[in-house]
Parts: sequence; C-alpha cells; structure tokens
Amino acid sequence: MAEIKERLRRTMMFVPGNNPAMVKDAGIYGADSIMFDLEDAVSMAEKDAARDLVYEALQTQDYGDAELVVRVNGQDTPYYANDVRAMVKAGIDVVRLPKAEDAEMVKKLDADITAAEKEFGREEGSTMLMAAIESAKGVINAYQIASASDRMMGIALSAEDYTTDMKTHRYPDGAELEFARNMVLHAARAAGVAAFDTVFTNMNDTEGFYRETEYIHQLGFDGKSLVNPRQIPMVNKVYEPTKKEIENAKNVENAIKEAKLKGSGVISMNGQMVDRPVVLRAERVMRLAKASNLIDEEGNYIEK
Amino acid sequence: MENQIVDLHLSDRATRQKWQQFLESLGIHNFSDAEVDKIDFTLGLLDEQGQLVGTGSAAGNVLKYIGVCNKEAVPGARFNAIVSALTNRLFQEHRFHLFVFTKAKYSASFQHLGFKELAHSDVAAFLETGDPNVDDYLAAVPRVAGQEAKKVAGIVMNANPFTNGHRYLVEQAAKENDLVYVFVVNTDLSLFKTSERFELVKAGTADLKNVIVVDGGDYMVSYATFPAYFLESADQTIRYQTTLDARVFRDTIAPALNIKTRYVGSEPLSRTTGIYNQVLQQELPPKVALKIIERKTATNGNYITATEVRKCIKDDNLDAIMGLVPATTQKFVEDHVAILQERIKEGMNINGN
Amino acid sequence: MEIKETAVAGTLESSDIQIMLSKGTDGIAIDLESDVAKQFGNQIKKVITETLTAMGIQNAKVKAVDKGALDCVIKARTIAAAQRAAKTTDEPAWEVL
Repeated sequence: MAEIKERLRRTMMFVPGNNPAMVKDAGIYGADSIMFDLEDAVSMAEKDAARDLVYEALQTQDYGDAELVVRVNGQDTPYYANDVRAMVKAGIDVVRLPKAEDAEMVKKLDADITAAEKEFGREEGSTMLMAAIESAKGVINAYQIASASDRMMGIALSAEDYTTDMKTHRYPDGAELEFARNMVLHAARAAGVAAFDTVFTNMNDTEGFYRETEYIHQLGFDGKSLVNPRQIPMVNKVYEPTKKEIENAKNVENAIKEAKLKGSGVISMNGQMVDRPVVLRAERVMRLAKASNLIDEEGNYIEK
Repeated sequence: MENQIVDLHLSDRATRQKWQQFLESLGIHNFSDAEVDKIDFTLGLLDEQGQLVGTGSAAGNVLKYIGVCNKEAVPGARFNAIVSALTNRLFQEHRFHLFVFTKAKYSASFQHLGFKELAHSDVAAFLETGDPNVDDYLAAVPRVAGQEAKKVAGIVMNANPFTNGHRYLVEQAAKENDLVYVFVVNTDLSLFKTSERFELVKAGTADLKNVIVVDGGDYMVSYATFPAYFLESADQTIRYQTTLDARVFRDTIAPALNIKTRYVGSEPLSRTTGIYNQVLQQELPPKVALKIIERKTATNGNYITATEVRKCIKDDNLDAIMGLVPATTQKFVEDHVAILQERIKEGMNINGN
Repeated sequence: MEIKETAVAGTLESSDIQIMLSKGTDGIAIDLESDVAKQFGNQIKKVITETLTAMGIQNAKVKAVDKGALDCVIKARTIAAAQRAAKTTDEPAWEVL
C-alpha cells in the first residue's frame, strides 16, 4: 500500500508540461510540490511531446525535496492511458486525476496505476494519487472520492471548471466557492488526506492573493495551487507559525523526549495528558517552522 | 503566467483594426486587400496583461506580417515565440517547407531560427526553412553526362498555356546551346493548372532532344518569390520582388546546373513582365548572360500571347487559336474547352499572367 | 521503426530544440543550427543519433534548431519527432523511454 507521508504541502506549483524552460527550472523556486501539467496547459497536437518531455526531465533533473505530481489527461481522452503508464514508469510520486466525479474514477486510476507498476517493475503501491474536483457532482461526492483509494494523497478544488459548472465565475470575495471549499476540506479531513485550494490567476492583485491565502489557511487547507513561482514565498509567509505556536510545539516535543527517556507510555505536559492530535499539530508546526527558517538546529525560535 | 498565443480572426473588423494598428506602430504599412486576403491564418502573442505584443501570419507556405514589440521583454523571446508558433502550426498542416520575405535587417533573426537565406538585396531578404530545401530541389533536377563542360541555358515560363511564342523562344535557345532547362512556374494560380501547363510544355517541346522540362518549384517566379506576378502590385513592389527572384536564379540555381545564359522573350505588352526583364538585365550579368529574343508575331502581325489564347477560349472562338499554339496545345484546349470556360465563369482572372 | 513522413517536434523558444525528421538514405545526417554549436554541437548530435539508433532508425535527415536545450530535452524532442514520423504516437516508444 502507498505510504502517504505526512509532509508540508503548502505550495503546489503548476508547470506546463511542454515548456522546457519551465520544466527545467521548476525545482529552483522551493515549491513543496511541483505539478507537471499534461492536461489543460498542453494543446492537443503536443500531448505526445509533453509526455516525452516530462518523462525525460523526471529521469535526469534534480527537483530536490519537492513532491512530484503529474496531472494526466482525463479518463475520457485518448491520452489518459499512456499518460498514466509513462508517468508510473518514470517513477512519479503522485498522479493527479482531473475532473474527478465519483469513487469509480479513482478506483479505475488506482487499478491502472497498479497495472502499470507491475508492467514496469515498480514497487507495488509506491505511486500515490490525488484527485481534482472540478464540478458540482465532484463536490457532492468529495468524501467518496477522497476515501476511494489507499493511494489517495489528497484532493484539490479546481475553481475554473467548477464555477462554470455552477453557472457563475470567480469573484474577488470568493463567496461562490464557499460551499465547495468547505466540502472539499471536510471530505479530505474525514478521509485523512490533504486538501488543496484552487489557483489565483490575477498576478497583479497581490492584496487579493494574500486575502484569499489567509482565508484558506484559516479554514485549514494544507496549501494552495499556484501558477506563478512569485506566489510561493507569499503562501509560505501566510503559513508561517507564530513564535507562540513554535514555543508551544517545542514544549510538546520536549515532553515527548522526556517520556521516552523515562520509558513512559504517557506523555504529559503541565500536568495534562498530551493526546495524539496535539502531538501531530506540534510536529506540523515544527515542520513549518523549519521550512520557514524560524528555528535553529535545536528547535529554538530565532528572534528576528 | 507566460505569454499566450492566440488565433486572431481578421474577418472580425475590430480584430483586424487592432492588428493593423499594432503592425503600423512597428512601421509595416502595406495592407492592400490583395495581400491581406491571401492570409490563411494569423496568430497573436499576448502578454500577461492580455496586450497584443506580437503577431504573424501565413499565406500558403509563406510567413507574413511578422511583428513584435520588445518593450519590457527579453530581446528575441517574443520573436522566437511567434515564429515558433507559426511554423509549428504550418508543420501540423503538413507544410514542412516554409518561406519568408523580410527586411534585410531581420534576416539574421530568422537565420538564428534555422532559416537559410536564399537571396538578399539592400532592402529585403528571402529565406526558407524546413524540408525539402533548395539543395534537395536542385539534387532532384535531371542532369546530363559532362554537364559542367556543356553550354547550358535556362528559361522560366508560366506557359498559360504553351504557345508558338514559347515554342519559338525554346527553339532559339535549343539551337544555340547544348542543353536547355525549361522551368515551368509551379504556382497554381492560372487558368491552366500547374500539371496541365507542365504537360503542355513537355508535349510542345518533346521533339527538341536537348531540352529538359523541369518543375520550377518554389524558387522561380513562384508565389513565394514573386507574388506580384500573380497580384496587382506597385512598380516598386515588383522591382523588390524580382530583384530577389533574379538573385536566387543567379546565385543558387544557375551555378548548380552550370546555366550560363537565361533566355526571355521581349515584353512589349505586360508591365509586370517588362519590369521583370529590366531587373534580370540588371542583376544576372555578368554571372549569367541574358538573351532577349524578339517576340514572335502571328501571320496577322500581332504578337503571340497566351493572354490572347485565353481570350479566345473565353469567347468560344477556338478557330482563332490555330496558328497561335502548337497542335498539342490546340488539341488539349479543344478537349477541355468546357472545363476551361467553366473556370473562367467561376472567376478565374485571364488578363493577368 | 520506419520514417513514413516528415515530422517535427519542439519549438524555437529558449531551452528547447526543434527537430525535423525526414526520410534519408545515407545514415543519420544532421543539419544543426545552434548558438552553442562550437562547444556543444557534437554532444547535441550524439544525443540525437543515439536516440534515433535506439529507436531502430538508421537513415534519416535531421534538421535541428537548438535554443539551449538540455540533453533530456533533446532526447524527448527526438523521440516525439520520430514517433510522429513513424506514425506511432499512439504507443509510446517504451524501449527508449
């Protein structure tokens, strides 16, 4: 079974799959996840060339610690099957399915990935998958989608197609996405997978971008999809933990260490028992703090 | 977001206006209907704000109206983007051999993208890219043994259709040379289709053993090298195009085939061809001699022209053709008069070349 | 693999390479245009030749316009052009991927 590692997924940067300059440089911006796009960013005549390009880049380019994702073409296209096979062969971390509407589509992808892992001698279960929710039906079925496969890493809301399906379009205040965001987020949390918010395309509206990112951070999303590397530090800034959160997390870590030293199965802090959600949150805060360069090697907050 | 390539539909008036204004701001001013109507498609390059910052068009296998604004951009990036999008679109249409006419100063930019210069003048350059190229074209032209030591001549003709005037010109050349290449204009914009013109030239010269009839390809008086031959154009445009056409012949075609003399008929009637002959006289010698053969007249003293033949076809006056064309052409016209008249009725211009 | 028709892959944009493949009779003949032909011309030609050979193409005319492509890009564009030329884009060339 795929091991869905807990990790930071604040930023998932979209990279057009047929653009060598962008594919080549995708690793230098510090995105937590890089999503190579074989779907919307690639014209029909270039589907084959984009697949070859991403495949070869994955063989040779160093993308550091980033989690590597490929958005394959939809299951209703002639490109889907070869996209999945090629990307599994290439050893991609995550296959992203566009336009997910129900559990069946996810199960089909799961089966196709399994078959490709066998065909190309990759470790079975080593490839994760994620699903993009882009329609009213997908939103309503979000939980069954999110829980349809052991390989499921996360689900993402994709607002362009969704708002079209809803007979609206995007507005600066995002009211049209409120229900979908909450559904996707709840489905993800209930299924124990990651939740990604949609892209924000107006590069000139920095204020609007911060407003939206702060909002989805407040709701509890793991992160946001991005189309421009300039947005990466902006998202990371929003996701920075506060000094107080870090100090608290450090205390939890210390309590864990102490319990281990004592050989005690019970972790306690300030006379209270520390239960699992608190431990997980502390771990997450420390990961964020480390990624944001807010702590030193021993985990102490660095005063600015 | 990167720059975006979009289709520009020039049939839409607002789009056409925006496109023309953009090109005019870059110093491009020839927007005659004759030129613009020949465009098959036009692409635009939009920047992040959706502003038009580049455009290019294609007419057949010729790139046209390429312009980019380089303000706040990496030098060359937009030019490369638009040319790349244009060529890839044409390749998708299985057009693999492309041309561009451009101001001489932009020749280097195209050469940077793999285009090869075929000829240039002080003002303009003519380049090609893709496959097959001029080397492939020349490699496929038939040759005779010991050609490099022989006296070789060349004639370029549209032959729409092949007349006794054409025949006389070829005969003169055949008499005075060891070998004569007759290049038939390849562009299919005449009353007689390219394949028909080609076959009639072959049939009409079959008895002349030292004549080889060759497809002129894209290099001689083609729609690529010399659009003014097919479009009503200003004298200056004709001069500028024929200069390049003459230089392609002088520098590329003639040396490869050891052609030392080019034969043309005197041109008392057509303004375009008249200018062409003047330019050939100016450009070809001394590398290639130009021999102007006085045009043949019919028994009534009038010059024999293909224009006259076409007029007779239109007027259904086939008897009048006799004496103007060889028997082979005569027979073809008689057998196909209905379809030829149909083409005229459908709007085929018979007064040009 | 057999070249059935002329085909192209890649663009003329930065970091890319445009590869045009057509039928040839005399081995793999490469006509390369590149700003870095002096330093990297041989390496670029080597990648193209090796990729085509691995795909079972012994004769081809190649026109390549390089805009500073990495080896992996050269290989990817060569594969795409060859598959288009052989009309086999429906089944990726697993033997070279």
